[in-house]
Amino acid sequence: MKRFLALSLLCGLSVGPSFAQPATTGPMPVPPTDFATDARRSAYLARANEVLQWYVDSVKPDNPATFQSAQIAAKLARREDAAAVSARIVELMSVPQSQDMFWMFPWTAVSYLGRDQLTPAAKAAIRGQWKTYFPMRGDTENHWAMYYASLYLMSELYPDDPADSWFNGKSSAENRAEAKAYLVHWMDLATTIGQGEFNPTHYIGEYAIPMLYLATWAKDPEMKIRGHMKLDWLLADLAENTLNGVLRGPNARTDDTSVLQRWLALSSYFSWQCFGNTPPPASYGGFGVWFAVAAANYEVPEVIFRLANDRSEDFLQRDLKRSRRKWRYSDELMTPVYKTNYMRRDYAVGSYQGGMTDPIQAHVWDVTWAVPDPRGVHNTMFSVHPYASAQAMQMYFTELPDHMLALLSSQGKPSYDVPDKILGCSPYERVFQDLDTVIALYDIPADDRYPRVNGFFSKDLTDVTPDASGWIFARGGNTYLAYRPLAPYHWEHLLGYKQLPSKVGYKWERIDRGEKGDKLLVSPHGKNGTIVQAASVGEFKDFAAFQAAIRALPLEFKLAPVPTVKMRTLRGKEIAFTYGQAPKVDGKKIDYAKWQLFEGPHLNAAKGSRKLTITQGRLERVLDFNTLTITDRVTP
Amino acid sequence: MRLRSLSLGLLAGAVSLAAAPAPDFIIIANINRNYVIGSKIVTLNGLYQRDAAGAWRHFGSNDTSLSAVAFDPRDHNVIYTAALNGLWRSLDGGQSWRMCNDWSLTEARDVAVDPNAPDTVYLAVTDGVAVSTDRAQTLVRRENGLPGRGKYTQAIEIDRTRAGRVLAGCETGIYLTEDAAQHWRRVFAATDTVNDLQQSPHDPRVWLAATQSAGALISRDGGVTWAAFPGVPAEHALYNITFDPANPQRLAIGSWAHGVLTSEDSGATWVARNAGLPGAHRVWRVGADAAGRLYASVFGETLYVSDDFGRTWQPDALAGSLVNQFLLLPKAAN
Repeated sequence: MKRFLALSLLCGLSVGPSFAQPATTGPMPVPPTDFATDARRSAYLARANEVLQWYVDSVKPDNPATFQSAQIAAKLARREDAAAVSARIVELMSVPQSQDMFWMFPWTAVSYLGRDQLTPAAKAAIRGQWKTYFPMRGDTENHWAMYYASLYLMSELYPDDPADSWFNGKSSAENRAEAKAYLVHWMDLATTIGQGEFNPTHYIGEYAIPMLYLATWAKDPEMKIRGHMKLDWLLADLAENTLNGVLRGPNARTDDTSVLQRWLALSSYFSWQCFGNTPPPASYGGFGVWFAVAAANYEVPEVIFRLANDRSEDFLQRDLKRSRRKWRYSDELMTPVYKTNYMRRDYAVGSYQGGMTDPIQAHVWDVTWAVPDPRGVHNTMFSVHPYASAQAMQMYFTELPDHMLALLSSQGKPSYDVPDKILGCSPYERVFQDLDTVIALYDIPADDRYPRVNGFFSKDLTDVTPDASGWIFARGGNTYLAYRPLAPYHWEHLLGYKQLPSKVGYKWERIDRGEKGDKLLVSPHGKNGTIVQAASVGEFKDFAAFQAAIRALPLEFKLAPVPTVKMRTLRGKEIAFTYGQAPKVDGKKIDYAKWQLFEGPHLNAAKGSRKLTITQGRLERVLDFNTLTITDRVTP
Repeated sequence: MRLRSLSLGLLAGAVSLAAAPAPDFIIIANINRNYVIGSKIVTLNGLYQRDAAGAWRHFGSNDTSLSAVAFDPRDHNVIYTAALNGLWRSLDGGQSWRMCNDWSLTEARDVAVDPNAPDTVYLAVTDGVAVSTDRAQTLVRRENGLPGRGKYTQAIEIDRTRAGRVLAGCETGIYLTEDAAQHWRRVFAATDTVNDLQQSPHDPRVWLAATQSAGALISRDGGVTWAAFPGVPAEHALYNITFDPANPQRLAIGSWAHGVLTSEDSGATWVARNAGLPGAHRVWRVGADAAGRLYASVFGETLYVSDDFGRTWQPDALAGSLVNQFLLLPKAAN
């Protein structure tokens, strides 16, 4: 039975102490203004040290349960209590291990951090488990990144050990060669046809941490620089997609909480740690400590730091990503994902083209507005078709059909098969974005499980105003929003999820927060659509002027035989978009075949190039995986 | 994932199990309710053998992801398992293991050893078929004739009468090779996955298949042509199918929607036999031992056993388990 990785794993590794965290509960970080190397570096190291200190302080001498791998790693990183750490390791290693690749990379970190601190007995205890414990390699790219990066480093740490000393019956040399081959292959994919599990709210840790470890500890100079370059790549991608440190826009994997409260994600830890521009989530996102223990070995490039922090100019980026592997019921192994990202000071609009990309936790498009403090705020708007299908799950997983839908709930994905879900992609959704206009069209068969469209209306919107024109106007922060459902609708309270105590799997209770909660615009029609336009408050005299401008724009649509829209946007673009056809802007067809890996003012990479140019102002960094070189320059 | 009743290479044609030493009865059981990758749950999973006292004894590695097992017919210390990591091999009865594949193969679904060429191992994976001719020391893909897309392979079964004659249950149908996977041809077209393939222990020309949306199938010519059993509903997935090694007239199907379906007239008629199975009798797999006792692994429950071919059921052991394969293993040649 498998194995739909639960987000709770993030908590599982991170059983964090429950006392205050200075950065999480304190005031918002002051936006960085001093970009000098020394100032950035000292602040970065101070943040890492805050994490380590928090974990070190969490150890209670009379409670061994508070002294786990994270506390061990934190103490080793600070070179404290080596004897006690060693003794605790021997104790922890004396029982059967679990957690697969989530076991591998923490203990790899401990092994390296403790090379010159741990007792021979402690080292042997860890090493012994690499023979007797059989961790699974998993079924996602993040699993494999953790698995192979860990295996690579451990086989370098014990370079000459024979096959019978490893759980998989392969010698150190065999493991090292296989791990390197996979990691190079994966980097090739990501740097030629795009990142899988792109822009995840949580899973960035599962990629960034193994890359940091390679950059820190790999002996092979090729793997060392590859780790460094890929970490730069990931952080540049994060920086491009954050608004004041908060990851927004579409992603391959998020969850029911983070899709609303965009800040509440591990990605915010990375923004905090690397860019200093948002608070970290509780327990530093769970995985934060595993970055922090080696953070001193990495320096955030100034060009990426500035990219994350400078929102003084609007920018439009187009990125190419890819879906998870589709094992069956699909003509393609991986679906290209064509992302559009329009970033402004007050809000950001992001999308990809829709369709079936990733199985459970995809998020296709949204408008997210800037807020002074993102904690607890649901600063986003979007719509989805709540698609659930056993066969779609079988596309990605090797499972039999019938149990999967029900099982997902007990495995930590409570919303997969509910009609009011707000997470996931659909084969019946097509999306087009031009700057700050998004059109989502739906052609959902009548016999679909849930032939309806759910529009998300946040508790944090103000002035929500259904208009006789058919538009619904609203305001979020300094952003005016116009939402146009293309079919009749009604309002429902969006129920939340409360996890209940359970010894066997996950159990959930739905929570109705009433008028104080979020609302769902429910449009129970298969042939359907949503149009959203956004603008800064400062662009109009007042809210009424914004509404008048929207009303004045020509808009024609019909829903049969397939949904089609012709409209002029607030930016004066003439858009024609029909479900299943290439969108047109000012009469010109969008040609996704020409989409580059990255294209925009800040990130540029040709498809297939293995070469990313990061630009911010006059600063430029080129990551060239063909030559394995990093080139910095200041343009004239 | 199924009852694979014979792997003795010397056996060709009709076989009398009664005359042979009692085979070993081995299952793959995952006792890991709500396990997800990375869980802290520690349970004992994988291979279990019924011992003389009737208890299930675990052996081999603790792997939550095993889907199939095969043994070298010459030496049962040589074990192959199909697992999430790929193909594992043990040369010492499960004491130690080697992961035989590298990163380019993953999520193995089934494994089979050719009884007439026992160094040859076939592996069904999510994107095709791989073959080893050196006891899994090396693996190569052999997919000539399988489609570029649509070769998700759930089941692989070797014709015990001839070396290199193999059937594969794929996403797009049943494929046959007669030259050790050098060439494949489709012998049955399906639109959904073929979940199980079985060769009769009584007559090697007779084969059965359980499918996701094409019902249950029978071939009487060695897997060349196939026909659906008219009495078996096809609107829901069938998970596996088994012969009764003790009675050639008896067949059984395991399914989520129907529970246990049985036939006692070689498939002419079928009845659901779920009395005594719990709840909605969501059956994961069925199997039969050499004496003809029928077993049903019930999702979320436990293993059940029937002494009257499904008319009544009693709980066995392994609470919370899901059984992915029932294997009757004839004693090793050596």
